[in-house]
Amino acid sequence: MHEYQIEKKIIAEKKLVLIGNPNVGKSVIFNHLTGKYVTVSNYPGTTVDISRGIGSFGLGKEKYTVMDSPGVNSLHPHSEDEEVARNLLLEEKPDLVVQVADAKNLRRALHLTFELAELEIPVILGLNMHDEAKERGIRINIRLLEKLLGIPVVPTVAITGDGIGELKNRIPEAKIPNKKVRYSPEIEEFVKRIEIDFLSGERGNRGIGLMLLAGDMTLYPYLNKKLKKDKFDRLLTFLEEERKGFVHSPDWLVFNYREREAIEIISQVQEIVGKIYSSLAEKLGKWTMRPFPGYLILLAVIYLMYKFVGEFAAGTIVNFLEEKIFQQWINPFFTKIVVSTFPLKFIQEFLVGEYGIFTMALTYALAIIFPIVTAFFLFFGLLEDSGYLPRLSVMLDRVFRLMGLNGKAVLPMVLGLGCDTMAVLSARILDTKKERLIVSILLALAVPCSAQLGVILAMLGGLSWKATVIWLGVIIFFLVSVGWLSAKILPGITTPFFVEIPPIRRPSMSNILAKVKMRLVWYLKEAVPLFILGTLVLFLMNKLKILNLTKYLMSPVVVHWAGLPVKTTEAFIVGFLRRDYGAAGLYALAKEGLLNPQQIVVSLVIITLFVPCLAQFLVTIRERGLKTAAAIFFFTLFIAFFAGGLLNFILSWVKII
Amino acid sequence: METKNLEESLGVIWHFQEQGTKNQEKICSKLKEGVNEQIFDELLNEKLIRIENGNIVFTPEGEKIASNITRRHRLAERLLNDVLEVKQGEIDKSACEFEHILSEEVTDAICTLLGHPKFCPHGSPIPAGECCKKAKEEVESIIVSLDKLSPGEKGRVAYFTTLEHPQLHKFLSLGIIPGKIIHLHQTHPAYVIKVEETQLALEENLAKNIYVRRM
Repeated sequence: MHEYQIEKKIIAEKKLVLIGNPNVGKSVIFNHLTGKYVTVSNYPGTTVDISRGIGSFGLGKEKYTVMDSPGVNSLHPHSEDEEVARNLLLEEKPDLVVQVADAKNLRRALHLTFELAELEIPVILGLNMHDEAKERGIRINIRLLEKLLGIPVVPTVAITGDGIGELKNRIPEAKIPNKKVRYSPEIEEFVKRIEIDFLSGERGNRGIGLMLLAGDMTLYPYLNKKLKKDKFDRLLTFLEEERKGFVHSPDWLVFNYREREAIEIISQVQEIVGKIYSSLAEKLGKWTMRPFPGYLILLAVIYLMYKFVGEFAAGTIVNFLEEKIFQQWINPFFTKIVVSTFPLKFIQEFLVGEYGIFTMALTYALAIIFPIVTAFFLFFGLLEDSGYLPRLSVMLDRVFRLMGLNGKAVLPMVLGLGCDTMAVLSARILDTKKERLIVSILLALAVPCSAQLGVILAMLGGLSWKATVIWLGVIIFFLVSVGWLSAKILPGITTPFFVEIPPIRRPSMSNILAKVKMRLVWYLKEAVPLFILGTLVLFLMNKLKILNLTKYLMSPVVVHWAGLPVKTTEAFIVGFLRRDYGAAGLYALAKEGLLNPQQIVVSLVIITLFVPCLAQFLVTIRERGLKTAAAIFFFTLFIAFFAGGLLNFILSWVKII
Repeated sequence: METKNLEESLGVIWHFQEQGTKNQEKICSKLKEGVNEQIFDELLNEKLIRIENGNIVFTPEGEKIASNITRRHRLAERLLNDVLEVKQGEIDKSACEFEHILSEEVTDAICTLLGHPKFCPHGSPIPAGECCKKAKEEVESIIVSLDKLSPGEKGRVAYFTTLEHPQLHKFLSLGIIPGKIIHLHQTHPAYVIKVEETQLALEENLAKNIYVRRM
């Protein structure tokens, strides 16, 4: 049987899906199993991404398409992630599943194995993080576990690559687990009737029957496609009738039977030996969540991030690239080529002039933004893979609660400090519409991306510390007060804070680099065209003399209300395309000595609170709808100039800087 | 047999009175239909009830029995519903049997086990027993909500209160399951707990919904 694939590069005869609980190291295993060519695509109709790659396993080196699925606790879906994982199994009909388990948490893994057994899919179980389990005195009898489940089980340590060879070799040995959970007679009866009356002879009917019993309505579209109309209608009536007969939610009953079996197996194969000692990592993990020294650690992390991203990348590296490489070598080189190739002045200016593609857009994108963003993603990857981010959500939960969010929102908000566009996408991890909306508003208003932040910090660095305090104070004030008001005004509900905290781990550098690379490619694809577009707009406006007209029109607000020189308008115009581009414009003006310290602070407050960049705006439209995105746009525009003007008056009056 | 009928009838009268019905005729016809013809006179003879202006009123003794039987019935319902896996039809039948055979000690033990519930599965109030009053007084009761533990303490999960379905499922799939031991690591800035090898952070409001037996 030949299979086709969505992405052209990936074609293989057989299919393999990776399934596992969250935080078990599935992605690292995925990287081990697949080669260089990995594509990430959106699962149709959802917001969940699926990575696909290709690998060859076993002695015959047979080729498989490998699909990574989101981490799940159950195949009876309670979240979009779980629904995607389940549908992937039903619709892609993989030849086998590699289940990745946390060896420390066999119980949770077994629930999934039972579900896979009920869907009658061949499974091979990778017991990952075997080293951590050992460290905690957990011993698992692998051979016995293999026998009880009837599938191959391979202990692995994905980070170091331990056991991956064996896993790859044994993948073709995957079998349908012969361990079947026995349920109560009523449940068995129900499932049998579903199997006989409605779904005949298909693989995995027992699993589907149990999901239906548990009240899984997300299966209806799938069954509606498969069954004839009258049969589907009869099924719905049957379900409604039968499910009434259970006092206890059938979901809970099914869970209980599985739990019993899981405990039974664990009691046979698992042994806890010796004292479970608390390693340094574990202690560190605890410290990071306590008020003391947790908040100190938090400050240290922010300081390190400032040193690495703000000073090293945005300072040292950017200066070197911009002043040495680009201004002394690359730009003169291109200028020479352009001038000698194109005699037309217009084209020369278009490419290497004041608003030139090379001299402005590419220099800016590659010499200034690229190193800053790279540094940020590296640092963020480190926080992500070490397990610090969920701890940060514990520390900041209360602050976020003020803004109608909970600690979970830490991820999109911190990611926003890297790239707001990416952050708007990641707001999907939040549970309710209201929370996602609040995050979208706050990201647009008060979270500067790393590129913008780099430029801003460089400008503030040249002024007294008071300037930084004022800028930060104003931004935080608007962040919290707008969040607080949104929480009060917007309809909808917010969810309680409840997250899993993975142990602190030494991150795998190769995994971080792989992620950084993926994010950078995404970023460059998204940002560079916008830089070029922005430069083009400025170039044309300049040529067509619209620039001066716009400056004239905006001068009441910019000059009289905010007290800024009229040339800052240029920065704000490009700020509509990218805020960091706008900030860079201000940077250039400040360098030329056209802005005094007060004007610098005021203009920075405006550009920070300014409208989202074009990419972020487009993504916000896609995620939240045009109306909402437009409302956010005008709201942020208003707040930005309102805050700037107000600050201008206050500073003119008190004269502290 | 006779006491069983008397108890049963007092329970029925209690139920009517909860609904605001005291009228002698109404209750009387129900009792005659449901139990037997003479039961009403027996109740009067035993001085368990009396009649005031056509309304039925409990005597102190009758009230005690009625309250106890109702309490046993509704606790039995809770037990059958929450702890044992029993179908709806079975619950009514078994609860009616249970209410006559449970001794006071057993009733109080069940009540404590269930954490002194205030309502039966149908939402009717469960009359408080001695044990409930004691539990209120004793600061250190056995089954407490998680927020009553101090950091470093542990408890065995007994049950949950608000059972919003997705929330319950999430608890279960992350390992917060009745019978499992929860280690409470910290309470500020958020609650951090450990169940087996899974570490979880949750806010105080959720912690209040998890009831554990102190260890």
